[in-house]
Amino acid sequence: MKLTNSKSTHNNWFLLKPKLIGMLVFLFFCIIFSLILSQQYHIAKKAKNDTMFASLQAIHKSIEQSLKNNYADALTLALTINDKGIPEHFEAVGKKMLATDPNIDAVQLVPNGIIRYTYPLKGNEAAIGINILASKKYRYEALKAIQTRKMYFAGPFELKQGGLGILGRLAIYKNNQFWGFSAVIIRLSTLLNKPEIEKIDQSKFFFQFSKINPITQKEKFFLNTNDKFDPKNAVTSFIPDGDWKLYLVDKKPNELILPFILRSLLALTLASLIGFLITSFFKKPAELEILLSKQAEELLKNEIKFKSIFDQAALGITYVDSLSGKFSEVNKKFCELLGYTTEESKLMDLETITHPDDIEQSFIFLEKLYKDEIREYTMEKRYISKSGKTIWVNITVSPLWKIGETPSNHIVIIEDISKRKKTDKIIIDSQQRIESLINTVDGIVWECDAKTLEFTFISKKVEDILGYTSEEWINTPNFWANHIYPKDKEISLKYCAEQTALKSNHVFEYRMIAKDGSIVWLRDIVNVIIQNDEAKNLRGIMIDVTKNKQIEKDLNNSFNLVSEQNKRLLNFSYIVSHNLRSHTSNISSIVDLIDSSDSEEEKEEMIQLLKSVSDSLNETMLNLNEIVHIQTNVDLVTEKLNLKQYLDNTLTILSDQIELKGINIISSIENNIEVNYNPAYLESILYNLISNAIRYSHLERHPTINIDCYVENKKTVLKVSDNGIGIDLNKNGHKIFGMYKKFSTHKDSKGIGLFITKNQIDAMGGNITVESEPNLGTTFKVYIS
Amino acid sequence: MIEKTIWVVDDDPIYQIIMKKIILKSTIFSSAYSFSNGKEAINSLKQIITKNEKLPDIILLDIEMPILDGWGFMEEIAVINNPTNPKIYISSSSIAIEDKERAKNNPDILGYMCKPIKLDDLIKIASV
Repeated sequence: MKLTNSKSTHNNWFLLKPKLIGMLVFLFFCIIFSLILSQQYHIAKKAKNDTMFASLQAIHKSIEQSLKNNYADALTLALTINDKGIPEHFEAVGKKMLATDPNIDAVQLVPNGIIRYTYPLKGNEAAIGINILASKKYRYEALKAIQTRKMYFAGPFELKQGGLGILGRLAIYKNNQFWGFSAVIIRLSTLLNKPEIEKIDQSKFFFQFSKINPITQKEKFFLNTNDKFDPKNAVTSFIPDGDWKLYLVDKKPNELILPFILRSLLALTLASLIGFLITSFFKKPAELEILLSKQAEELLKNEIKFKSIFDQAALGITYVDSLSGKFSEVNKKFCELLGYTTEESKLMDLETITHPDDIEQSFIFLEKLYKDEIREYTMEKRYISKSGKTIWVNITVSPLWKIGETPSNHIVIIEDISKRKKTDKIIIDSQQRIESLINTVDGIVWECDAKTLEFTFISKKVEDILGYTSEEWINTPNFWANHIYPKDKEISLKYCAEQTALKSNHVFEYRMIAKDGSIVWLRDIVNVIIQNDEAKNLRGIMIDVTKNKQIEKDLNNSFNLVSEQNKRLLNFSYIVSHNLRSHTSNISSIVDLIDSSDSEEEKEEMIQLLKSVSDSLNETMLNLNEIVHIQTNVDLVTEKLNLKQYLDNTLTILSDQIELKGINIISSIENNIEVNYNPAYLESILYNLISNAIRYSHLERHPTINIDCYVENKKTVLKVSDNGIGIDLNKNGHKIFGMYKKFSTHKDSKGIGLFITKNQIDAMGGNITVESEPNLGTTFKVYIS
Repeated sequence: MIEKTIWVVDDDPIYQIIMKKIILKSTIFSSAYSFSNGKEAINSLKQIITKNEKLPDIILLDIEMPILDGWGFMEEIAVINNPTNPKIYISSSSIAIEDKERAKNNPDILGYMCKPIKLDDLIKIASV
């Protein structure tokens, strides 16, 4: 694994400062624009100056032309001077000149500097005779005309006629001797009345005309004297013929400034805009660049982190070239696990280190992985280490390609599970041992959830005992509850729930319905497993106690039999102790009395008494004999007997008493009813029950005896009920069938009938019950099996 | 010697006759009455109490009797709860231990006598 230095951004620091770039671009454009604009300005300015200059030049030429004309006029005037130096036809010429040249205001001839001739004279009389060379005012300019030997124009000055005029003087030499001057007076306005001046755009320019005073050297302006101007804003032209200066003044020297400013502003805006755009343009990459560098840093950190995790991991990790199966990277743990060095490992592939038995399964998984059918898999397999040792590992394989891409590399994480496998084996062994142990137990070992009663385990013995398989028991919900014998179900479930709630281990017995439909008695010994102070599971063992139950039942039957016999024995001992003893004690007492009697009479009385005791004793002995006979008579003969016939016989025997007491006998017994009974017993039972009913009839009402027969629970029931005096069963219920138990003081009551009846019924395997209310009547039911 | 009254409660008419003879011979008792069951006896006892007459000094009580037996009679006596109740002795032909135990556990019963009752027995209980 190589760490690549991703810090290549220092070359692009420039890109990281979008504001600086923006500023630079802005400045660049500012410079460009200002250069362009100043150039434009200068061009415009020059064009304007050129225009002005051209205009002025035209004016200049026009004025010079006029001056030349004047020069011609002055020359013409000079020609009037004859050789003698006297002007000829001065006036005529002057007149002609004025007529032809309207510019000319007046003409003069000034011989030797003294104004002698002037035309028109009128109005100019004052000038005649003035020596201009002597005059301070005119001398300089006059001399100038002489010096230049050219026509020199003086003025402008105020004309006597009003207005401004100029005076052009031409020095005249006659025979190379100074003669004087020829002078022409021209109105300034006339001089300046030029179309070139007229043509000037008055809105933009104005024309100015000046002269520097030769004496004072002060410049004097003659036109529009109110308008002051900056000479910088004007073009000038100098006319040496009069020392005049012509000006063309720019009225709006600043007219170019405003557009310049506007354009500058526009350019500034444009430059700013570009700068801004550039800034924003570079800002995004700059942000991305920052993000990139941050992420690169993060990536580097992660890489270091993962590298250390990779190296230090407690699990073996390897990158595998998916095509060749070779290990392109392995970590320390991997090497430790397999015993190869890193270099050796890189020469190995999956196949060489995998246990031969696991190769096929490994390839099946890899195939699925390559086909993108699975995105990861885990398997337990065996590797073979360098030393040839088999190592159990749990591998987790994840692909490093995206779905749809060609498999490139995958990562395998290897966990050494050799120890676990070893313990697993121990656990499995012990589980098997426990299981086989459980299955040898002669009972069904089970476990279930304490709340849901869903079974989680049931030993195979269940199949032997109940016929169900463990699987159907566990997989069927409520299997246990649903297979309890219906009569036991509710009570069993209730008991189990109660004991579980009390967290008390319990043992209970119930019946279950086996697969073959038979009923199996189970004793269930239940342990309540408590977790977190709560009954969590129930575990127990169900033992088949069907045989025990049968034995118990038999035992119970024997017990009942023995108890019954014991009771009879007790009864017999009672009979012996009470009934026989009462007689013997009476005999004993009577004998004593006889011994101590005083008279024969008394003795006789006692002997009579002894006789009656003897009779009673005899009767008792007979009764006892009968009872013993019943009780010892094991092989009683039973026959099919017609109940109706026997009843009729009994009623015939008792007919006297029935008639005597006026008893109403109601019998529902039909002719065809037959019972399997001993004839003597049936006779005795019917006799005793009916005679009892007759005997204890109620004196205050019409006695009725009902005799019915019906079947109840497969047993024939003979019912005899009366509306007689009844018995308080609460007091006497337990002894009603006892021997010598009498419940009334009736003279015929002997307390033996019911005792014998019961004994006879018992001997026939049936039983007798009684229902009675004092003063309402008594019902006896005889069950014949 | 103070003359005492004795009741014999028993359903055996022969025994009644015998007891009368013996009582007569003893000359301890001024009078003797016989009842054939507990019911008769308790009714007479109630009448005496109502009339505030003299109660018997001694009652000889049989256990096995129709209508109301000896135990039933004792229950009724307990209900009456008269402070000057007569001395009650059981006289039964039963030699069953449970009967003897039952009599022993009843504070109102002073003694259990097995039949036959002899003259000496009567003298003994009369002198207590």
